[in-house]
Amino acid sequence: MRYPDRLGSVLAVPLTAAFLLPFAGLKPNRIASAQAEWLHDMVGWPFAVAIAIIAAAPLLKGKARLPLSAFALATWMVVMGYGASGLLEGAAEYARVSPGAGFWLGLVSLALLLTDTLARANPRPLARVGCLLAAFLIGIMTLRLWGDVSIMQEYVARKSAFWAEARRHVGLATGSFAAAVAIGIPMGVLVQRVAKLRAPVMNTLTAIQTIPSIALFGLLILPLGWIGANVPGARNMGIGGIGMAPAFVALFLYALLPIVTNTVAGLHGIPASVAEAARGMGLNPRQRLLRVDIPLALPVILTGARIVLVQNVGLATVGALIGAGGFGTFVFQGLGQTASDLVLLGALPTVALAFAAQVIFDAIIDCLPGRRT
Amino acid sequence: MIGLHDLSRHYGDLRAVDDVSLMIEAGSITSIVGTSGSGKSTLLRLVNRLIEPTSGHVTIDGKDVHGVPAPELRRRIGYVIQDHGLFPHWTVARNIATVPELLGWPKARIRDRVSELLTLLSLDPATIGPRFPHQLSGGQMQRVGVARALAAKPELLLMDEPFGALDPLLRGKAQDDLLAIQQTLGTTIILVTHDMAEAIRLSDKIAVMRAGKVEQYARPSEILSRPASDFVQDLVGEGERAFRYLSLIPLSQLVEPGEASGTPLSRNATAAEALNAMIWQNMEVLPLEDGGRVTRAALLRAGHP
Repeated sequence: MRYPDRLGSVLAVPLTAAFLLPFAGLKPNRIASAQAEWLHDMVGWPFAVAIAIIAAAPLLKGKARLPLSAFALATWMVVMGYGASGLLEGAAEYARVSPGAGFWLGLVSLALLLTDTLARANPRPLARVGCLLAAFLIGIMTLRLWGDVSIMQEYVARKSAFWAEARRHVGLATGSFAAAVAIGIPMGVLVQRVAKLRAPVMNTLTAIQTIPSIALFGLLILPLGWIGANVPGARNMGIGGIGMAPAFVALFLYALLPIVTNTVAGLHGIPASVAEAARGMGLNPRQRLLRVDIPLALPVILTGARIVLVQNVGLATVGALIGAGGFGTFVFQGLGQTASDLVLLGALPTVALAFAAQVIFDAIIDCLPGRRT
Repeated sequence: MIGLHDLSRHYGDLRAVDDVSLMIEAGSITSIVGTSGSGKSTLLRLVNRLIEPTSGHVTIDGKDVHGVPAPELRRRIGYVIQDHGLFPHWTVARNIATVPELLGWPKARIRDRVSELLTLLSLDPATIGPRFPHQLSGGQMQRVGVARALAAKPELLLMDEPFGALDPLLRGKAQDDLLAIQQTLGTTIILVTHDMAEAIRLSDKIAVMRAGKVEQYARPSEILSRPASDFVQDLVGEGERAFRYLSLIPLSQLVEPGEASGTPLSRNATAAEALNAMIWQNMEVLPLEDGGRVTRAALLRAGHP
């Protein structure tokens, strides 16, 4: 007889709650409030019990936990798709089915179980990226069954806009990230070498970090608007008080602090004997920087970069407020229309994107040579 | 010939190195001995210009080292430090190849040189070469550090407490290896240590430093027999002086013809080792492996300069 381990016992609580809370909500139209539907109402008791067994199986400790939790997660998604179709049969024309609290709770519990099991298996970097790809493929396959779930209906209605905003979101997050890395690392090196610059630069960057994002957008409207109006060619490049430019600049400014701080910390962490040997062997300052200092500080710098990338993916959402586009567009549209499904259409891809960025970046860090294993 | 001419290095009021002049024979081993803060490491680092002198200059074969850019100079001078300072992100082979790579040697020549050096330091090129430093033992890291310093065939090797991090057993072995390598390559070595026994064992000449000045610069036998000051005498350690002196005398100098019973001694052993064997075996006379014998009386006479 196998028993649940600590993680299994802890997750049993939200998973049980998932069955006690409504699995879905049936709404007469997309902004009306929902009528709660329980799982056993949607699929019948026999299926509900079978699903409960499938969902509970990975709680038990053992080697089979990885496939079992993946299977449970996929089942959970598929049940939502079929359940929604069932509910819509015979419902009014504009009726919608949204996932309910029970569904989300179960989804998160099972996803936690799966990622924790994966993390414990400590797979090689490439295998981790492979798992991520597999998860995305399975996710896309199960979403094909979600045609009658409200979020996918919102998606279908805005298919081309969705992908256009996705491109803008990724472009905004990665573009400002790349700019911050390109400027932040040299800045970190400089600040680490020139002690006099350290306090003023760090304090400025920290001060920027404390400005709320919306306030920073507001502060940038004036100078960037002026540049757009007065510098020849600037407006053609898309520089103006609102739109992509202030969002890009704001994300870039937020990203600088972690990159600069971690560059400084990484360079500080180089053992004195290594620095001494590099000098003593006859490496000139440029060779020391490029062959010894930066490579040795790189794991710490990349940790900072990872924070920045994930932070940027999240913050880019707010850029929609000043017309920069991105997934935030759906979030704010949805808030305006009190259409929670539209909010989710913006929020969920953002979460997935941040998660993917983190996994891929960690894999890159682990691939660096000379890492302790 | 390495010349240190009126070298000084001041830090504010502190005179870390104070007007030091030394001439060092090519192909010899010279130790700089002193307590912590005596300026011995600073003096060593003035030679490869890791520290620039406040005044004075250094010459190698009569040429001022300040005539070339410092990185270029350092590529011609081997440098070994206590914590070895191996680059943790490079393999052992790449670490050893550091200076040849900087000098732009062809790849094949670098590869050959790396395996030659690993073999010289009794490390297997095939297994040790591709490893990273953190996969090595302390003794192996130390040897790789020496190999890296010797890679580009420097005429001069600077060593700052090279064996300080090793346990006594490994340290003895590393000292033997260094003597053997020096005899093979003929490299001039300047070695900084706080261990007088190590200096006596390894060096042709010893410079004793105190508060930035050289108190005595002489052969080990002279440091032992005629210490120039109380400080030098303290460093030598009065309690072990006779034995240290005996450790400098090769047994071959004390052999007399004749026979004796007991465990034969090696001709390469020192007088100190012979006396130790006699005391332990309670013998007045011991034979040598390839003929002849040594008496206890001869050893005792030799122990007094």
